[in-house]
Amino acid sequence: MKKVTLFISFLLMTLFGSAYASGSHLHLEHAHNDLRDKASLQRGAVLFSEYCLSCHSVKYMRFNRIARDIGWSDEEIIKKMAFGQYKIVDNVIQRIPADVEHEVFGTVAPDLSLMSRQKGTDYIYTFLLSFHEKNGKWDNVLLHGTAMPNVLEGLERHEDKEKVEQVARDIANFLEYVGEPVKTVRWDLGWKVLLYLAFFFILTYLLKKEYWRDVKK
Amino acid sequence: MSEVNQNAPKKGTILRWLDDRYPLISTWNEHIAEYYAPKNLNFWYFFGALALLVLVNQFVTGIWLTMSYKPSAAEAFNSIEYIMRDVDWGWLLRYMHSTGASAFFIVVYLHMFRGLLYGSYKEPRELVWLIGMMIFLVLMAEAFMGYLLPWGQMSYWGAQVIISLFSAIPVVGPDLALWIRGDYVISDVTLNRFFAMHVIALPLVLLILVFMHIVALHKVGSNNPDGIDIKKNKNAQGLPVDGVPFHPYYTVKDSMGAVAFMFFFAAVIFYLPEGGGFFLESPNFEPANPLKTPEHIAPVWYFTPFYAILRAVPDKLFGVMAMGGAIAVLFALPWLDRCKVRSIRYRGLSYKLLLAMLTVSFVALGYLGTQPATPELTKLARIFTVMYFAFFFVLPFTSAHEKTKPLPKRVH
Repeated sequence: MKKVTLFISFLLMTLFGSAYASGSHLHLEHAHNDLRDKASLQRGAVLFSEYCLSCHSVKYMRFNRIARDIGWSDEEIIKKMAFGQYKIVDNVIQRIPADVEHEVFGTVAPDLSLMSRQKGTDYIYTFLLSFHEKNGKWDNVLLHGTAMPNVLEGLERHEDKEKVEQVARDIANFLEYVGEPVKTVRWDLGWKVLLYLAFFFILTYLLKKEYWRDVKK
Repeated sequence: MSEVNQNAPKKGTILRWLDDRYPLISTWNEHIAEYYAPKNLNFWYFFGALALLVLVNQFVTGIWLTMSYKPSAAEAFNSIEYIMRDVDWGWLLRYMHSTGASAFFIVVYLHMFRGLLYGSYKEPRELVWLIGMMIFLVLMAEAFMGYLLPWGQMSYWGAQVIISLFSAIPVVGPDLALWIRGDYVISDVTLNRFFAMHVIALPLVLLILVFMHIVALHKVGSNNPDGIDIKKNKNAQGLPVDGVPFHPYYTVKDSMGAVAFMFFFAAVIFYLPEGGGFFLESPNFEPANPLKTPEHIAPVWYFTPFYAILRAVPDKLFGVMAMGGAIAVLFALPWLDRCKVRSIRYRGLSYKLLLAMLTVSFVALGYLGTQPATPELTKLARIFTVMYFAFFFVLPFTSAHEKTKPLPKRVH
């Protein structure tokens, strides 16, 4: 039995050992965001609306779903995040129409619904803080030649580093929530299921033992 | 049923009415209540029943996913996100199905490894092994086609790479690839036919093969960790002394195994649904884009050992042949292994070393298949590919004159 467990743990280790090892070799800062922090998610939603929603959509979300999940009423989200420009059942679509965006920036900014699942929350956090000027244009260490300007520029000029990092963290947090809205739901349900199965295992183990008592070795 | 059965249900009951018209009791007795299995089946013998459990999981969750999934290039990706966000418990169904796919291969690989450990493929169980191998083959096709359905970047480009392999076949290759895709590239047409295969054709074949696998097994009886025949020792009633009725002994034991399995299964579903990037790959959260190739295309983990073999061979055609051969050679195992002793417990050192080599090379190739093909890693993959095939080429010679230990009269 010991050998078997050893073998399985070896198998699992090789399976899960270096999942992202093959990805990019760029250094990413840790976002240290917290999906349970409703205040951060609410700040993130407002910040997303102020800094990102002009160009980027999160089209798989609707305003009423966001409101319900991060602890706002319908009226609150229309006021705070939608700025009265959207209806409560609307999908979160960028303000500048795609064709106009294409004309102005030469490209359409990607939908960010699943960005946290593609690249990770740390990537979003680091990306927002990695802009620098190059030949009079904005560039980003993580994505050279990006068409995206440094949206946090004004903030960086007037606020301290800590505040800017907090803004990036809140936006990253909000986008992690958007990537998988049920994440905390499954965290909260999972341990109950596991507890039930652990208890159920004891029952089946005892049942098996009882039946097998009369089988001679 | 002319003979008088002492256990026949009483006259006038519904059960009796049914049993007079359908072989209810006799089937139950033959395959469950009076099917004698060796009493010494160990940990390794859980995985067959677990594979059946995962199959049921895939069927049930798959049917419900189909209710909201849309098999079109324009809607497929959106409909998956719709399931993940807007369908009640859709996320759970989807994760159960995606995790189930990986779990299926984990239990099937362990199930096959059990066969190698205890010589379960040897006479008289060759057909059980062959049908099992066909299940494995169909399962790979089923998983491959299912992986296209989310219509993410990895779905698209993985399918593109794998189907283009067919074009390496001389003469008919390019036309064959075109025929499979139904288009010059992976497209809406491909998605539609893969959907049809994934939800109807292949599950049907799978179900029939699993049924045949069990029927064939019940004809010859289960092997056991000692690899000796329990039917040789019978008591006065003609029942094997080292056997126990499948029900209730193995139904309760397998229930215990099933619950233990479900514990780990649920742990992944609720806390690690991406499987560390192996069960759900992160590039697949980006919709398929025929104009943008991902920087690193890797198949899902359960194909990577064979993918590594493909890449290890410098020539495309020979690579495809090596990959196909790596699977095909498993079919021949009952005839490549000429040792009369089944279980590794009583076999010679040569088999133990060979099996260790096969296992190490398979796991190593699996790892290498997930990595980019750098020159160093390709060199390693070549070494392990040779080791993998060496098992099958050396085995016929060593197994014929293997120094085995004496077999016990009874199971331990």
